[in-house]
Amino acid sequence: MTDRTRPIKDIFWILALCGLVAGIFRMWFGLGATTNLTDAMPWGLWKVLNMVAGVALSTSGFTVGFLVYVLRLERFRPLMKPAILIAFLGYGCSMTALLFDIGLPHRFWHPILMWNEHSFLFEVFWCVLLYFTITFIEMLPNIFERLRAERLVRLLHAGTFGVVIVGISLSSLHHSSLGSLFLVTPLRLHALWYSSWLPWFFVLSAMGGGIMMIVLVRILYARWYDPEPVFGTQLEPGVPGPADLLSLPGVSRGYTSRDMPMLAGLASIGAGIMSCYAVLKVVDLVRLGSWNALLAGTWESWLYSAELILTAILPIILVAIPRTRRSPVGLGAAALSGAFGLALNRLDVGIFGYFRDAHTVYFPSLAEWALGIGVIAAAGLVFFFIVENTAVFDNNWRQRYLSRGVFHATFDRWSHVWFAVLMSGVHRVTLLAVFVLPLAWVFLYPAYHNEKPITVVQASVGMDNMRANLRIDGDRQGVLAEFAHAEHQQRLGGDSSCAACHHVSLPGDRSTPCSRCHSDMIFATKIFDHSFHTVAVAEKEHLAGLYPANHSCALCHGDGLPKTASTVKTCYECHRDDMWLVGRPDSAVSLMNAPSFRDAMHGTCITCHTREKERVGRPQLDECATCHRSLTARRLATASHAQDDNALGAVAFGERPVGASDSGSSH
Amino acid sequence: MSIEQWIDFAKGPLFALTSMIMVLGLLRHIVIQVYELVAGKGRRLSAAPWRKILNEGLGWAIPIKQIMKGTPFFSSVSYLFHIGVIVVPVFLADHIVLWEKTLGFSLPSLPSGWADFLTIFTVACVLVLLGFRLFGDRQRAMSRLTDYVLLLLILLPFVTGFLASHSGMNPFPWETMMLVHLLSAELLFLVIPFTKLAHIVLFVFDRLSAVHWQLRPGAGDKVADALFGKEARV
Repeated sequence: MTDRTRPIKDIFWILALCGLVAGIFRMWFGLGATTNLTDAMPWGLWKVLNMVAGVALSTSGFTVGFLVYVLRLERFRPLMKPAILIAFLGYGCSMTALLFDIGLPHRFWHPILMWNEHSFLFEVFWCVLLYFTITFIEMLPNIFERLRAERLVRLLHAGTFGVVIVGISLSSLHHSSLGSLFLVTPLRLHALWYSSWLPWFFVLSAMGGGIMMIVLVRILYARWYDPEPVFGTQLEPGVPGPADLLSLPGVSRGYTSRDMPMLAGLASIGAGIMSCYAVLKVVDLVRLGSWNALLAGTWESWLYSAELILTAILPIILVAIPRTRRSPVGLGAAALSGAFGLALNRLDVGIFGYFRDAHTVYFPSLAEWALGIGVIAAAGLVFFFIVENTAVFDNNWRQRYLSRGVFHATFDRWSHVWFAVLMSGVHRVTLLAVFVLPLAWVFLYPAYHNEKPITVVQASVGMDNMRANLRIDGDRQGVLAEFAHAEHQQRLGGDSSCAACHHVSLPGDRSTPCSRCHSDMIFATKIFDHSFHTVAVAEKEHLAGLYPANHSCALCHGDGLPKTASTVKTCYECHRDDMWLVGRPDSAVSLMNAPSFRDAMHGTCITCHTREKERVGRPQLDECATCHRSLTARRLATASHAQDDNALGAVAFGERPVGASDSGSSH
Repeated sequence: MSIEQWIDFAKGPLFALTSMIMVLGLLRHIVIQVYELVAGKGRRLSAAPWRKILNEGLGWAIPIKQIMKGTPFFSSVSYLFHIGVIVVPVFLADHIVLWEKTLGFSLPSLPSGWADFLTIFTVACVLVLLGFRLFGDRQRAMSRLTDYVLLLLILLPFVTGFLASHSGMNPFPWETMMLVHLLSAELLFLVIPFTKLAHIVLFVFDRLSAVHWQLRPGAGDKVADALFGKEARV
């Protein structure tokens, strides 16, 4: 039989490796450089998809456990181990993603020791941590069975009931708490989703969705590994089935395989829970009077309807129709729709419902997608590994283990030789990694991709005809500095004082504005035009040769030296006559890149102010407010409302600096 | 994009991509070779003739004896070619500036006169080797298309790099030559792990092949079965 899981595993490996690179970059460069999270939308993909939705889809451990151990529905017992596996992976997934999501990952353990019992998140943290531990303990028998540690298996089985009961309690606790988390957002979350019943909705939908998830996984497992118990004996169309098919249990009720009656029964329970959920949702809309919002025709109303149809209505219909209920494909579609709708609901409550209030749209960055999906893919790989090597669904792992292919033989036409290529899992995955890791690296590396917000800087404006006082506001955002140019000039020694601040003008110019070279507000700018210089120097020196411009290298870089920026002579060595060098000669050495406007201005002013504050006896001289008076005035004004600007200025400075009379209108 | 932006792109993301693929690809060969050496059942590493392997391996570092026995001219050209091909790219002064910037460590640099000599010498060696392949009957019979292509591909960065640094001899704009130099070197990076150029790391394991061939009794039949078994019978 061909390996149906092979392409899926390859894709999962690719996604997981991309996620690995994204995770490295998140730890290396921080959240700001790698994610699109903002103060308006602080909950992104990792939290909502991996944590809130992931946890909701892993309820299977608790629902199936409840059915088997509390309601004693023994026919669902074969699904107990798979359900626990899904819970284990889902919770592992969300905890991994959260580790990358929290601001200081190395403090993930703080809630264990530092208790904040007023927080829902604190409760969620503890429940998730404990429940993850519980699922791990519940997973252990499988692993010990594989390792043939019989005594440990018996010991664990003895305690199963208690462990399952603790697990069920923890689950019901934190699923409602996850809903309660969103109760703090009555003014932000869209009216369609916000309700005081959110905790109930979260528990109910998670129970229904968790059941749909286990049904889906069981059907997928059958499709990948062992079709017969679910899909029945595969028959040619029109050919009557073998006689022994009739002896299967459930055939009389229209089922044609061993496990389908059980799966249909479980899906019916799920659909029942989902119908309770749908009814409650509708009642809630009526109760809160949010019908208007549903009929408003906004994209939120369409999203809400789609979500409700996918979560509840479509699965209920598909399960209710006997034909689709009995077919693995139909039941799989119902389960897929339910699980997808549940995830969509969590995304709505966690992300989409806030767009209108935040006045912005959050779209996850490439790194967020890579890590969010990569973690899920990694969990998928762990699923395949556990399923193939332990007896989770059935006991076939030993057989599979022996029938793994090792060699690919190819015939080479050139040399007439058979090449045997060893192609085990290690070979295949490392080959993928060789390509995927560098590609992910290049595509996710923040410095290659973060689009720089180009904020073109404009020259400062004189506040009077004589340019005695300047208004420096490069990006015209109103965060301006008022600069008493004439006064500084006079204080620093008249006409000879220019060099204290200015350093150089462009060739042929005597008063190049700062903003001409420092032309970006935030980023350094390349200002040296290399191609232009190679040609211009060759023309000026009347160089000849195959390609004249190529002979000009040695004129600047020196002969026989590496042609790099470190070996080049300074601009001033050639432009001695036409370049007005105001400052020290060495201030013309590095004119390849101009620092950003902000760095240039701050560097010039603050350096001097810090030095001078002791001498002139004004300790506040190097503080922001000394120059950015308008900014301070605005901040203070918003803090204490209705206060006179000029009075504030006087409070802030203790004296009235030059030009203060103009600043009143600046905010 | 202007040609300077292309050069920046080739020096930045493209260089990172191709060099990482090369390094990881070669690492993969090492990992797999070590894995196969260590993980194979019934393989007794302790029983391998380590002393003999070491002696023979180191003997090839200065292979005067081996060269004199067979085809002295061809073999010595090939040997000297390898020296140039390793020394020039790693120890060229212009490249050492790159190592400092990207990797953070410096190396002693080759004097520029030596670098020029070795570059021309390496190019000459490539041309001689190409001549052997084209005009030697035995070599020609053994050669495949990739053998020629790889030799020319090795030639390309050397020639373009030489012309870019000696711009007086260069009939094209410096920027163009630099871009071709970068792109050809990066293409070479890409093909190294997936062609016979992987002997950069695999040569070590050739010496260790004595360990590989400690097969169990009856292993030959299994190999034949894996190779021809089911496919051959169908």
